Amino acid sequence: MAHRTGRWAAALTALFLCTAEAQAPGASRAAPERAKPCAACHGADGNSVLPGIPSIAGQPKVFIENLLVLTREGLRGSPTMQTLMHGVKDAEIRELAAYFSALPARSTPGPLDKPMFERGRALAAKMHCGNCHRPDYAGQAQMPRLAAQREDFLNDILRSYRDSPPPGSDTMMASVLYRVPDADLRALAHYMAHLK
Amino acid sequence: MQTFRIAAAATLAATVSFAFAQDKPKPPPAWHQGKPPAMLDSKLAPLAGKLTETPAAEIPLDKLKVPKGFKVELWATGLPGGRAMARGDQGKIYVGTRGLGRVYEVSDSGDKRSVRVVVDKLVQPAGVAFQGGSLYVMAIDKVLRYDGIEDKPDVAPVDMTEKFALPPEQHHNWKYIAFGPDKKLYVPFGAPCNICEPPPEYAQIRRYNADGSGMEVIAKGVRNSVGFDWHPKTGQLWFTDHGRDWMGDAGPEDELNRISKAGQNFGYPYCHANGVADPDVKKDKPCDGVTKPVALMGPHAAVMGVKFYTGTMFPKAYQGTMFIARKGSWNRTKKFGYDVVTVKSGADGKNAKLTPFLTGFMDPKDDSFWGRPAYLLQMPDGALLVSDEQNGAIYRVSYAGGKK
Repeated sequence: MAHRTGRWAAALTALFLCTAEAQAPGASRAAPERAKPCAACHGADGNSVLPGIPSIAGQPKVFIENLLVLTREGLRGSPTMQTLMHGVKDAEIRELAAYFSALPARSTPGPLDKPMFERGRALAAKMHCGNCHRPDYAGQAQMPRLAAQREDFLNDILRSYRDSPPPGSDTMMASVLYRVPDADLRALAHYMAHLK
Repeated sequence: MQTFRIAAAATLAATVSFAFAQDKPKPPPAWHQGKPPAMLDSKLAPLAGKLTETPAAEIPLDKLKVPKGFKVELWATGLPGGRAMARGDQGKIYVGTRGLGRVYEVSDSGDKRSVRVVVDKLVQPAGVAFQGGSLYVMAIDKVLRYDGIEDKPDVAPVDMTEKFALPPEQHHNWKYIAFGPDKKLYVPFGAPCNICEPPPEYAQIRRYNADGSGMEVIAKGVRNSVGFDWHPKTGQLWFTDHGRDWMGDAGPEDELNRISKAGQNFGYPYCHANGVADPDVKKDKPCDGVTKPVALMGPHAAVMGVKFYTGTMFPKAYQGTMFIARKGSWNRTKKFGYDVVTVKSGADGKNAKLTPFLTGFMDPKDDSFWGRPAYLLQMPDGALLVSDEQNGAIYRVSYAGGKK
C-alpha cells in the first residue's frame, strides 16, 4: 500500500538472503509453495522483523486477497511486490490469503512508552478506529488488522493516508485522518503496535 | 518614494493574506465528510468487493427465485468485479469494472462463453457503451474508443480523454454510460461526497456527441446515478439515483426519476426522495422547483442498472415494464435490496408499482448475502442478462413456461 520505492533494495536483499521454513511456527498447515518468497521479508511466520515491512499474519482474508490482486494488477503496492505477484493466479492468491490470515499475529514492538501508549489508546477511542477495525483492532473483511502491526510501518502508513489518501471508492480513512498531527499518528502507531 | 509605497503595500498585503490563511484555512476537500455526530458509533462500512474469480461450483444458483415460468442459468463466470454490460453489433459483450481496473470481452459460442481482458490498469473503468462498431470505455480520468474491436481484438484505442474534460474527483464518479436514441453519449457525474454543496461540474447528468463535442447538462441535483434507460414510447430518460448515507435505516430512499425537460433539478443536496429536507446542508424551501421521483426504490438499496423490457420472450405483462437491479445496502443495520425488481407505471411516471422479480441473493434470516446484482442487458432473443458484481458472474433469465 504505502510501501515506498526506497525499501525496494532492502527488501530485495532480504529476499535472496532468507529462505522460508516449510511450516511456519503456529501454522495449522503447511505453507503453500507460493508463500515461500513472502517469508523472506514478511517473516517466516508472517510477522515481519524488517523495518518498514508490514506483518501479514492474522490479517483478514479478504484484505489480503484484495491487496494482492490490486498489486498484481499494478494498481497498488511497491515495485518489489508487483514483480513478485506478476502472473500469480486468483486461486493461488486465495490460498495465500487463507494461509496468512490463519497465522497468529505476534507483536514485536520496541520498549513501551506508557504515557504514549495511553495517549494512543485515548485517541483511537476518540477517533472510533474500533468501529471498522473491530474493538480489538484485529480488522475484518477489507479492513486490516492494526493490533501487533510494526510501529514504524503503522506510522508510515498513517502519514501516507493523511498526506496522499489513496483514491479508491471509500473516503472514510482519508476523512478520519484529515489534518491529524504527526504526534497523534505516532501515539496511535505506538499503541496499536503494542497490542497483542 | 512611489516604489517604496508599492513595496510596502505589497508586503502588508502579503502579511495580511498570510495571516488570513493562518486563521482561516481553506475549507476541507469535499471527501472530508465522515459520519455526522449522531452516527459516530455506527459500525457500518461499505461491504468488501471480491476481486478474485469465483468458480461456477461456488455460485449457489439454486437459491435464486424468479416468477413461475422463468428460468435462471449461469451464463458466464470469471469476470471479477464485472458490472455494466454493453453488447457489440456482432454479439460480443463488454463488461466494465471499478476497483479491478479491467474491461472484459465475453464471446458466446452458443453452448459456452469465453472471457478475455480488453484493457486493464485503468482507474475504475465502469463505463462501457457500443455504437457504430466502436466500444467506448470511460474511466475516472480516461475515455477510450476501440474502433472495430469485434473484428480486430488487438486494435489500439483512440484516446478521447481531452474532449470530455472529466473532473478529477473519484468519489461517485465511476460511470455508467450509454448512447441514447439521439446517438448522443449520456454520462453521469456524481457528487464527490456523501453530502456536500457539490462543485459546479458534479451532481449532474450530461450528454455529449459521440466525439465528445456539444456537451449539455441535462439533469442537475443528481447525487449518484449509475443506471438509466430511455422509455420505448416517449424516448424520455429514466434514471436511478442513490440516496445519501448516514441518516439512519429508513433512508432517504433511493430514487427512480424521469427527465421530462432538459435541465430539471432533482434536489441534491437539499432535498431527497419524496421531499425529505437534508439535515446537514440546509436552505430555505429546499424542495422548491425539485422534480420528485417516479418511485422510491428503498432505503440504501443501491439501485443500479435499469432496462425497459422491449422483447417478446417474456409474457405480455412485462412489455414496457422496467427492470431494476438493486445491488443491496451497506449503510443500514438490516440488509435491503440484493434483487432485481420490476416497476410498472404510466409513460408519465404515474402510479408506479414495484414488484420483486429475481431474489435469493440475500437471506434476511441471518442478514447474509452471497451475490450483488448490478446491471441488466436485454439479448436479441428477449432473454435478460444480469451481472453479479460480487461473484464476477452473469446470469441469463429466460421465459420457458406455458401461456404468455
